[in-house]
Amino acid sequence: MGGLRIILQIVGIAILILATTIITLRLDNQDADGPSILFPGGQLISGELHTGPEPDWSFTDDVSTIELQLVDPMSSRTIFIMESEGKIYIPSGYMRSTLGRIWKDWAFQADEGDGLAVARINGVRYERQLIRIKEGPALNGIVAKMAAKYGAGATPEAIQAGRESIEAGDIWIFEMAARGA
Amino acid sequence: MKTKNYLALCAAVAVAVVLSVLYVPGLSDTVEQVLLAFLASNA
Repeated sequence: MGGLRIILQIVGIAILILATTIITLRLDNQDADGPSILFPGGQLISGELHTGPEPDWSFTDDVSTIELQLVDPMSSRTIFIMESEGKIYIPSGYMRSTLGRIWKDWAFQADEGDGLAVARINGVRYERQLIRIKEGPALNGIVAKMAAKYGAGATPEAIQAGRESIEAGDIWIFEMAARGA
Repeated sequence: MKTKNYLALCAAVAVAVVLSVLYVPGLSDTVEQVLLAFLASNA
């Protein structure tokens, strides 16, 4: 009986340490100017706000991650980016897993809300409109870029598997369109 | 360990964890990297 009690107490301490760490990190970062590695941040404040014509987004091929902030609710996170045919896209994975539904709540909020967002790329902020892409020929280019940039390579098998994941809802893809476009 | 002592230990550990995460340089980044790796392989 005494041994079991000690084991339960040790497990309790371990859970306490994990929970306290996660809560502390989340609370510490929630009002920051941008996200941390894993936890959401607040409004993207610093950096020049881009105005004028659309840039040549191909420069994002050399950008691993960007900071994305939703306007409503106001929170920001770190995310991948893919350019395809002159447009930019962001993915959200694990969308049909329980953990994904908690971790990727921003994607549900973007899909169900107005989709207004601000992206900070290389220190420059861009006002965007998130539009979910569920199907269509554009997916081939997007998936190819995602596989080449973040996967093992844009093989036909990888592209097919990526398309199937998107069409099944495991991965969500949003176009980051210009507002009012 | 008696319940009263255990609760006191929990409180002390919680305070120590909070202070460590907030003030030990690099610790928060390391913890986040570990959590990210865990989520990437288990989510």
